[in-house]
Amino acid sequence: MSGVLATYRRELRAYFFSPLAYVVLFFFLAVNGIIFVYLIGQLNDPRSAGGPPLGYFFRATWLMLLLLGPVLTMRLVSEELRSGSIEVLMTAPVTEGQVIGGKFLAALTFYGFLWLPTAAYGAVISAYEPVDWGPVAAGYLGILLIGSLFLAIGIFASAMTRSQLLAAMMTAAVLFLLFLLGVFEELVNNDVMKKAFGYVSIWNHIDEFANGIVDSRRLVFYLSGTLFFLFLASRALEDKKWR
Amino acid sequence: MIEAQTLSRRYGDFTAVDGISFSVKDGEILGMLGPNGAGKTTTIRMITGFLPPTSGKVTVAGKDLFEAPREARRQVGYLPENVSLYPEMRVSEYLTYRARLEGLSRGEIRQAVPVAMERCLVTDVRDQIIGTLSKGYRQRVGLATAILHNPRVLVLDEPTVGLDPKQIISIRELIRQLGREHTLLLSTHILPEVELLCDRVVIIDRGKIVAEGTPESLRESAMGNPGVRLVLKDGAAGVGDALAAIPGVLAVRAGASDGVWLLECERGSDVREAVFRTAVERGWVLLELSRERGATLEDIFVRLTTHDAAAALAEPLETPQEVVS
Repeated sequence: MSGVLATYRRELRAYFFSPLAYVVLFFFLAVNGIIFVYLIGQLNDPRSAGGPPLGYFFRATWLMLLLLGPVLTMRLVSEELRSGSIEVLMTAPVTEGQVIGGKFLAALTFYGFLWLPTAAYGAVISAYEPVDWGPVAAGYLGILLIGSLFLAIGIFASAMTRSQLLAAMMTAAVLFLLFLLGVFEELVNNDVMKKAFGYVSIWNHIDEFANGIVDSRRLVFYLSGTLFFLFLASRALEDKKWR
Repeated sequence: MIEAQTLSRRYGDFTAVDGISFSVKDGEILGMLGPNGAGKTTTIRMITGFLPPTSGKVTVAGKDLFEAPREARRQVGYLPENVSLYPEMRVSEYLTYRARLEGLSRGEIRQAVPVAMERCLVTDVRDQIIGTLSKGYRQRVGLATAILHNPRVLVLDEPTVGLDPKQIISIRELIRQLGREHTLLLSTHILPEVELLCDRVVIIDRGKIVAEGTPESLRESAMGNPGVRLVLKDGAAGVGDALAAIPGVLAVRAGASDGVWLLECERGSDVREAVFRTAVERGWVLLELSRERGATLEDIFVRLTTHDAAAALAEPLETPQEVVS
């Protein structure tokens, strides 16, 4: 456990000490802010259908996770492989699983930190109209679950290569594929296929979460997916030894 | 303290380490010597648990490295060949992180970090960012991490590579001090380092152990008969026969330039006095008379690890058994 904690603390510190983090934070908040302002503008139009603003907000901003996933995780293991610091890390009395776990939790914490300022949007809206906090909480839960799956995929890619660029590209490719599965749902005519694609469609998931529906199937999907990719990541790290 | 049994490691078809067995006794400083690419680093990585061996077994302080990796690793402090630290951290932060990784408690960390910094002479840079440190300092920070958890065994892979002469001296001094309290395995291809620091030497070449022993015993075993070199002013006739007649002289050879003679002598004999008297008797003008140095570790190393005959001849060897044969 001390291995997880030591790695977690170091990685979290590394996030806040790297300029990348602040660049990411800046653009993330800038884009989020623009989306929010635009949404409010649209909803203020008397001809709009109306609805909870934060619901629309989650449906739009989750797309940014396709970029955030690779950027937040590409460094995590690749950099250790490239610089050779993996050697002293893996000769310490810690397991691969603990190292991966610590790094994942640090990435997830930083990811949460990125979303923290968006709480202000809820506060702003509640000043003008009553907010139903249930769906907002569900939306954040959805964002957290999708994020953890994406970060786990990113860590797996990062553990596969010593090149950060390659890790980011692999992650982006996999996430884009996941994104496309949701599009395929609309394209296929076969009922079974439609159902299968619908099950993994992140579009559907965020829709449900934003509407305040927390479906246990989604929890299982994201949690098992996250654990699966973290497991793969620790195996990939172990595998590096055998070559 | 370290027990390596028939360790082998293959990378694809290439065998980097081929059935190496050796042991390091408690409190000993063992030097692992070999040319670049001999398999030193691979061997060391197997001993520290970074690389699993293709076959064979390692125990550290009685703990099997692959059956009880955590317990075994806790006994080992490791300084890899390329010391790679996290450049964005401060020295004291990095050491604290490493101490946590080793599983030290909060109280232990508060004690161990300043002690390790003090011993490795990095206290003056404790608040500096690692990325801004010189190579010598980084090496010392690496050593400080290796001794943080007070391991019984220290494994140092080429600790002085890439340092300037002054830094090399200070790192060596540090290693000598650490050797008093820890069992030490030191890999290097720098020969004086081994002679200076090590109790015992293992010479590795092409993945195999080619020689093993104390520096002295290796030198003795490789040493041929002692030699004497003399220089005469004029090349008088019959010098060779006259020298060969001296009791104790086994062979005589003319040297490269005029008037230089090399004698191979019986072990334990000193023919210099007889040579002097002969010269006086015959009226030779004796300019120089000296005993040839015996084999050094360097000669042994070169002989054991040179496979190319032409390259071996090109080496400027002046030991008697190379010249007089």
